[in-house]
Formats: sequence, structure tokens, C-alpha cells
Amino acid sequence: MDKNLYEYILNKDHHKYRKEIEITFYQDMTPIERMTYRFEEMCKSEAPVILENEQICFLRTTSNIPDIFTEEEWANIKSKYHIHELGYLSNLSPNFEDTIKEGLLAKYETADEYGKRCIDAILNLSDRYKEEAKKQGRDDIASVLERVPRYGATNFREALQFFRIIHFSLWLEGNYHNTCGRFDKYMYPYLKADMDKGIYTEETALELLEDFFLSFNKDSDLYVGVQQGDNGQSMVLGGMDENGNEVFNLLSKLCLKASENLLMIDPKINLRVNKNTPLEVYELGTRLTKAGLGFPQYSNDDVVVDGLLKLGYDLEDARNYAIAACWEFIIPKVGADVANIGALSFPKVVDKCLHNDLVNCDTFEEFIDCVKKEINIEADIICSSIKDLWFVPSPFMNVMMDCNIYEGGKYNNFGIHGTGIATGADSLAAIEKYVYNDKTISKRDLIEAVDSDFEKHSEILPLLRYEAPKMGNDDDGADEKAVMLLKAFSDSLKGRTNCRGGIFRAGTGSAMYYLWHADEIGASPDGRRKGEAFGTNFSASLFAKIKGPFSVIKSFTKPDFSGAINGGPLTLEFASSMFEDDDSINKVATLVKAYVDMGGHQLQLNAVNTELMKDAQAHPENHRQLVVRIWGWSAYFVELDKEYQDHVMMRQQYQV
Amino acid sequence: MKGTIFDIKEFSIHDGPGGRTTVFLKGCPLRCKWCHNPEGLIKNPQIMKKHNLCVGCKICEKGCNHPECEPFGVCIHSCPNGCLTVSGEEIDSKLLAEKLNRDKAMFEFTKGGITISGGEPMMQSDFVCDLLDKLDGIHTAIQTSGYTDEETYKRVISKFDYVMQDIKLADENEHIKYTGVSNRKIINNIEWLKKSGKEFVFRVPMIPGITDTEENIKAISEITNGHKTEYLQYNAMAGSKYKMLGMKYKL
Repeated sequence: MDKNLYEYILNKDHHKYRKEIEITFYQDMTPIERMTYRFEEMCKSEAPVILENEQICFLRTTSNIPDIFTEEEWANIKSKYHIHELGYLSNLSPNFEDTIKEGLLAKYETADEYGKRCIDAILNLSDRYKEEAKKQGRDDIASVLERVPRYGATNFREALQFFRIIHFSLWLEGNYHNTCGRFDKYMYPYLKADMDKGIYTEETALELLEDFFLSFNKDSDLYVGVQQGDNGQSMVLGGMDENGNEVFNLLSKLCLKASENLLMIDPKINLRVNKNTPLEVYELGTRLTKAGLGFPQYSNDDVVVDGLLKLGYDLEDARNYAIAACWEFIIPKVGADVANIGALSFPKVVDKCLHNDLVNCDTFEEFIDCVKKEINIEADIICSSIKDLWFVPSPFMNVMMDCNIYEGGKYNNFGIHGTGIATGADSLAAIEKYVYNDKTISKRDLIEAVDSDFEKHSEILPLLRYEAPKMGNDDDGADEKAVMLLKAFSDSLKGRTNCRGGIFRAGTGSAMYYLWHADEIGASPDGRRKGEAFGTNFSASLFAKIKGPFSVIKSFTKPDFSGAINGGPLTLEFASSMFEDDDSINKVATLVKAYVDMGGHQLQLNAVNTELMKDAQAHPENHRQLVVRIWGWSAYFVELDKEYQDHVMMRQQYQV
Repeated sequence: MKGTIFDIKEFSIHDGPGGRTTVFLKGCPLRCKWCHNPEGLIKNPQIMKKHNLCVGCKICEKGCNHPECEPFGVCIHSCPNGCLTVSGEEIDSKLLAEKLNRDKAMFEFTKGGITISGGEPMMQSDFVCDLLDKLDGIHTAIQTSGYTDEETYKRVISKFDYVMQDIKLADENEHIKYTGVSNRKIINNIEWLKKSGKEFVFRVPMIPGITDTEENIKAISEITNGHKTEYLQYNAMAGSKYKMLGMKYKL
């Protein structure tokens, strides 16, 4: 990759091309007319910019996307419908494969009138790019744009440029968390054909790929989620194909390498693995982990596909799963699941039962029954609150999906996260041990202690906090509670139908709820003080004294994920010194493989350096490229709010 | 049989082949000035205090009725910030073996096993042998200074699959100066190890100005005689545990 171009993007020099845009919408325009009109106007106002030495072009030059609705109009919509997050389509896996193969003109045939207008707008913009390329004497780019996106790609470079144009357009339309799907699967044929012809060596292909990867980072600051970096540009590599054959290929390897060389937060790499995946693949993954970008994230086909089948997905679709913005399992092309529509807080359930039921329960079993009932009640509340779901119509996204996205896809399931499982399980374990078994803490004292944030009965705080059973220590006292909680959660969603005709899927992710849900309750019976966060996703409590990676893996592979397969990884933080040489990399790779072979569903392994993070808090200017993993995405540490920074530093960390 | 340990570390990656669980035995006859596990020196349990987390609330000094707290003069169960831990646990070999055997699958997955370290494992030779007899077909390794009598050395080493044998200083006087003991027994045991047919590696800690001198490295190479030798870089954080134990670091 061109060093100057890399520096140029890193220094944000290209931001100088950006300008604000204003668009006026007429009251009588329907939402889809407004969206189509806005897309046309956005495309029109884009000024073609080709940066020196870049091979993959298209750069956002409009810095804003004007809302199609006024505040009053939004209020009116929200009074009638359930609006998910920003109201736009997100977390879908569009059909890059066929579009890149066939070209936009072919899509024209099947598109509705609005889709056709979007295609016209994209072709017009790419033609203007082509003219600009000619003007600058960039015949290479002009010749690529002569072919794509109008017609199908005939080589690797055209295919990459085509992808860039589609992805750029999806963002421009206002959709977000635009994922990349199974990139190595649908792109490899182009690379292979070119390499067979002798057009690329591995080295030159890698160079082009790096240029392409850089394109994900040109505009990503405009794609803000809950925090900067939460942009959902996730890419899936490896795993099995629809027929169960291994996908991992040369392009997969080059993608891992390109990411390692680039050291930027996008695209976020997900590596699919299964019992047939050789150790070499894990070693390549571990090398990328060492780079400290917070990816790859691993997903285990054996568990995920089985889980999706049990939820009613067809075998071919299940085998073809991709990853949404963070970790949710979605189906490319035909899936319209809303994988992050709600979240259930396990600690809140336990907290309610602590206050409402504990004094009335003579045995721990009775108390557990109350917990299960409360989970059902929570599920009732969450599920019944989601009705009349409405999305802003997205005519170009509709072109890119193999279903009529307005009516829904082949799958229209809703994913519900499960937050704070370790806090919930540890709290139950403490109640069982000290209240029911040992009888060393009375029910009333425990409730008083929790309600006073351990101001009262402070002597039990160290006991609960540091000596009680904790999930992550291969201690069934706590682990079995987690198994129960997760099963009760997935059972509570069984048989429910959502407002789009789909089902509800239970998950093990937390998203930002590890902070938000933690603020909804006070202290908890596991010795967690008021205001302390939960662990992120599927991981141990922050202050638990954890024995080590073996125990964590054993604890977190105990639950049955077949009913709780919305996604959400076990998250492990290893000190960066754990990756110092080939031998260490090999050992860490065997550990990841062990997790998969033991039936873990998803793993997020991060290389972290606490000293660097501390220094970055004090001197952000010296660490602008320090990357950390937050909950399902990676970000530049210095661009995060402090509460998110602090949480990363407080996580369980394993040292050499 | 009872033994005293001060730590069990899971997935240690520099303590032998594959991913290992290392058991640290408490008590050591050497007093290496660079020792980075000072809690391994004496056999008795010691209190370790994380001074950086202490807010000076003195709750731990209020007194308690726990018999296990008696030797320390503070209540080890009382700290709300988790500053206090006891280093040193007397554990039965049967219980310890059960704990370790539970992770057999993990050792198979990571092509690793169990490493016995310290302190100096030879100081609890009967316990070590008893523990190893109770392990369930798990690969075993030992890290030792080799400072023990020949009979003990042979008896213990023969139990293990893999040996990590330290050589610190070749010169006897230097050895006495920096570790507190002569290296005669050690060199004698090394001569036996070389002929034993055991799979082993020499390990040389590279302490700046002490063990990493040209003279010492050359003299050591005469002992190792071309056998596989690992040179361990000095850990700059080595002194950090001394303060927690109320001790002074001598380097």
C-alpha cells in the first residue's frame, strides 16, 4: 500500500473535501419518495475525488445526511410505530456476491421504480468519477469504472471497486451497520482467476487489498454509533459453505495479513471456525490478535449452525451465516432479522426476586423458580413492547437484498441480548451458599446490605466480593446458575411470535447495556457496588478473582447455546506480552482451538496493554492509533468516552 | 500428604511445552538477589498487601475471631478493596491432584501439562513425588535450581517427563555471593542429569552485570556442553512483589 496515501488518511487530510448539504423535502412526498429523492441529491452533490496513488476510489464529500422527516413528523411516526434505534435498516448482509457478478444494470431489471432511480444515481456518480479519473490521467481507474458498477466485475480489482461503490452507496442512503458478509467466499474467485493468469502475486494482491481495506477507514468517522468506532463494518472470513465445505482460502489469509499491516479499526474481522479448522488458521488469527486491534472474533460453526437449525433456519442458510455489526448471527441476502432489538438484564431479574421473593422462599429451589418466573415476566414486557415495527424505506438496500425488505425477509426474527450473566449467576451462587446452605447471612441482612450499597453489614462485602463462588472459576456453584439463567432466558422466548411473523432469539451479548443496565440497579448480592459495571458480553465479573484462562473457558462452555444463539462472545483480555514470539502464538492458538473444540460458541480475544492505556488517558496526543475492543467493535482508545476507556482497563486480564 | 504452595497459574506459556498449569511450591534454600518470586522464599504463609489499593480504613486491624488470621495480626477477610491476600496455602496432595486432573482435557488441547516450580520443589520432594503419583497421565515438568542432595534429585527428577534445570553462576564464590549457597551440589546433579536420558533444557537467567557477563556465559557453556539452553531475559518488574511482602529488593 502506498505509504503517503496511508499517512494522508491517517492525518484526516481528506476531510478538507467535505461539505454540508441541505435538502428540502415537500410535505406531500411519501417516505420512499423522500428517501429516493435524498439519495439522488446526495449522489449529485458528491464531488468525485481521486486521491494520489489510490487504486480503490470513492470518497465521501458530503459530511451530513439531512433527515427526511421533521421532528414533528418523527414524533408522529413514533406515536404509531415501534422505531428501532435510528429507524433505518441496519445489520443486514446484502447480496454483494450476485451484484458484483452481474452488475447494476442487471439489478435494474428486477428493481422497483425507486430502486431504478437509485441505480441511475449511482451510475451517474460513477460516470463522473470516471471522467475525473480520465482528467487526472488515471486510466487504470477510468477503465475499471468503464466496466463497474454498470456491468459485472471481470477481475479482482473491478470486484473490489464494485464492492466499494455499493458499500459507499448503502451508507449514503442512510442505512447503517452495513456489514460485508462472507467476503473471502464471494471475492476469492476473482482473485484466483487473476492469479491463475499471472496478474497478481500474493504480494501484489496484498498491496491492492490493503488499499481496499484503507477505503473502509476513509469515511468511517461519519458512521457514528453509540461511540466512535461502533460502525458495523464487519467482515466474515472462513468457515463452511452451504454444502459444508471449508471456505478458508488464500484471500482469507491475505485479509488477515492486510488487517495486521494496516493497523486500523476497519473492517472488523470475524473468523468462522469449526472442528475441521486446522491449527494454522488459528495461528494466523492469533497473529492478527497480537496486532492489538481487537479482532478477529471467532465464531464456531458447529455450535452456531446447530443452534440456527434448531431455531428453524434452513440448513443452507444456517451454514451460510454471517456476522452483524458486533456478533449477532445473520443470514446473507435473505435474512431480515433484527438481531439487537432488545435486552434482558439478568442482574435486574435477580434484584427483583431478591426484593420481592427471597423472604417468602424457604428453599433455594423455590427462589430459583421465582427467578425463572421473573425472566418470563421480563420476556413478556420486552416482547410485547415491540409491535408495529416500522423502518424508513431504503430503496437501494431493497435492491441489494434477495427479498422485499419492506415486507420482511425469509427470516424476520428478533434478537434479544442477555446482559450481565456473571453478575446474575454470582449473585444467585452467593444467595444459595450464604443464605440457604451455610445460613451465615440472613435474608434481611443481605437485602439491607444491598439496599445500602453495603454501608450496612459492611463485613459481608469482602466475603461476597472476593470469597464467594464466581462464574469463570470452573466452579459449578456459580456456573450452574449461569446455565440455568441462559436456559430460562431461551425457554422464555420459545413459542413467541413477533410482529413481523418471526420468532425471538436469546443471546449472550451485552452491547452497551453492560453500563446502561448496571445503572438501573444498585448494588448486587455478588458484592458488586452500586455504579459498578457488568462484564462485557459473555464474561466474568470485573472484580472476581479468576483462576485463569483454562477455568474461564471451562466455565463459559458449560451452557447449552442451542437455544441462545443470537450471539455474544466470551471476551478474554490477554496482556500483549503473551504474544511475543512464534511459540507463544502457537500456544495461544491452541487455546482458542481448545475453546472451539470444547463447544464454545463465540470468542473475542484481545491483546491489551494497560500501561499504554493509562498513558493514553494522560497523553491522548501520543496514542491516537491505540485501538481497543469495546463490546462488538474496535475503536481508537482516545476517541472513547472515559467510562468506556475505564471499563476496558478494569476487565480481567491474563498475564505471562 | 501436605505441601505448601503459593500459587497455581493456569495457561503459563513459558514454563515448558504447550499450555501449562504451573504450581509454585513455597520455600527455597537459595536467596538469589534478583529473585522475582520473593513469596516463594520462606515456607510459612505470608500476607501480601496491595498498597496501591489501600485507602487506610484500618478495617483489617479491628480484630476478628478467625483462627487463620491469628499469625498475621490483621483480618485477612475484611478488606473491602481486596488488598490483602495470603501467600502460602497448605494443601493435601490428593486434593491438589484432583484440582489439576480436572484440566486434563485442556492440557491435551494445548499440548501442555503441569509444571512444578517454586520456590524450590526439591525442598518438598516427598510431597512432589506423592503429587505426581496421583496425576492422571498428564505431561509433567519441573523447574529446579538443582540444589539438593543426589538421592533426592534423582528420585524427584525420575518422576518427570521434562526438566528445566537452572544454571545461574558457574563460579562457586560468585554463586555463594549472589545466591547464598555453593553450586557444588547443583553441578554434581547436572552431571547426573546429562547422562540420565531425561528430556531437559538448561535455563540461564540473564541478570545484568551478574550472570550475563562474558566470563560466566562462557563458563556455563562448558557445563551445558552444547545441550539446549534457554537464556531468560531479566524481568524489569521483578522487584514489584517485595513491597507487598514488606521486604526490600536487593538489586
